[in-house]
Amino acid sequence: MMLKEHPIGAQVEKFPSMPGAAVKLLALVDEPGVSVPQIESILRQDPGLTANLLRLANSAYFGIPSKVGSVRQAVILLGLKRVVQMVIATCTSAIMDRTVPGYDLPAGELWRHSLAVSVAAEGLVRELKLDAAAEIFTAALLHDIGKIVLGQFVQDDYAKIALALEQGLAFETAESIVLGINHAEIGAQVLSKWSLPEGIVHAVRWHHEPEKAERTDPMLDVVHVANMLCLMIGIGVGRDGLNYLPSPVVTKRLGLTTSHLEKVASQTLQWASELSQALAA
Amino acid sequence: MNHIVNVGDLKLGGNGDLLVTHALGSCLGLMVYDPVAKVGALLHAMLPLSSINPQKAQANPAMFVDTGVPLLFHSLYERGAVKGRLVSKAAGCGNPMGKNETFKIGERNYTVLKKLLWKNNVLLEAEDVGGTNSRTIHFNVTSGEVTLSTGGDKRLL
Repeated sequence: MMLKEHPIGAQVEKFPSMPGAAVKLLALVDEPGVSVPQIESILRQDPGLTANLLRLANSAYFGIPSKVGSVRQAVILLGLKRVVQMVIATCTSAIMDRTVPGYDLPAGELWRHSLAVSVAAEGLVRELKLDAAAEIFTAALLHDIGKIVLGQFVQDDYAKIALALEQGLAFETAESIVLGINHAEIGAQVLSKWSLPEGIVHAVRWHHEPEKAERTDPMLDVVHVANMLCLMIGIGVGRDGLNYLPSPVVTKRLGLTTSHLEKVASQTLQWASELSQALAA
Repeated sequence: MNHIVNVGDLKLGGNGDLLVTHALGSCLGLMVYDPVAKVGALLHAMLPLSSINPQKAQANPAMFVDTGVPLLFHSLYERGAVKGRLVSKAAGCGNPMGKNETFKIGERNYTVLKKLLWKNNVLLEAEDVGGTNSRTIHFNVTSGEVTLSTGGDKRLL
């Protein structure tokens, strides 16, 4: 845990909060008997949100043949969980679209990576026939949000981090040693402040070190793998390169093979561009 | 003119062109040049074998090493390149840390490339492959120079 007085802790405190509509919708997800008018009234507070939601619902990624023209239709055709995921994606794209110093990611690259990891994670769940929570999309989408907070600190201390990497340490370990905290832990703290479900926070916190997590969760395992895969195929790979360790324990636990990975990799670019076009329109 | 070569993409250039590809992680970057015809090609292939997704390979052969490499050479010949004059260089094919074989897509990309080149009597003039760095390539088709950037470092390949 990082003290609020510490410069990094202070940045976590200052980090933008999640827009109200997304918070309210999230609170509804687990409530029994949620009605469509309730959802509509929340979305109405932010006119841009409904438009973005419908654009996403109509994107090729979801493959709904008929046109989705209203919030009601979106909830019926996609389900409430999907709708909430899309609202979160819409609300966070502006935050995650920026240039990220330290990791040397140009504007838009972290967001492209986030979308790619989300669709790759869902692809892996299908490919491996896993029973993973629906929140996996959001966990994957936000797994690197901590990089936005930590980027400037990584840049300022890059020489020390480079020395740690030369010793053969993984990037997140180098961050922990040099800065006292890594981007995964920071991300978990931000999302915890946003009151996101605990499963998402857990998956984000341990996405580079799944073996250290206090409990196993397919959502965590898949985000770990999907992230590695997207870095390998060059989506959002920055100065940290491939200086991360894919967990052999996770590989075994998932029954993951090379062909699972390659099959999903061959489709990830297309899935990600289908989603990102809908968000950029 | 500058041409960006995306992941799973092949581009050709002539005199005055610069072919650029970013973020080679596990992917293969293959640069081939005919100094007399002044024509060059850059392939950024993601995966070793097209058999993993034949449908995708049909739509986009440049995504796979086994379909992208032959496509690169045939495209160059169509532009007047001659096999005996070609200069070939490779970069990328990196892997994450550790010994987890499942994730060694970069290593497999390199193996498939070497097999194809060997069968066709093509030697690599230069290569910078493996490791954990992400690489960017600038291929100047006027001079044939290939510049490799990793992190803050830049050097000729």
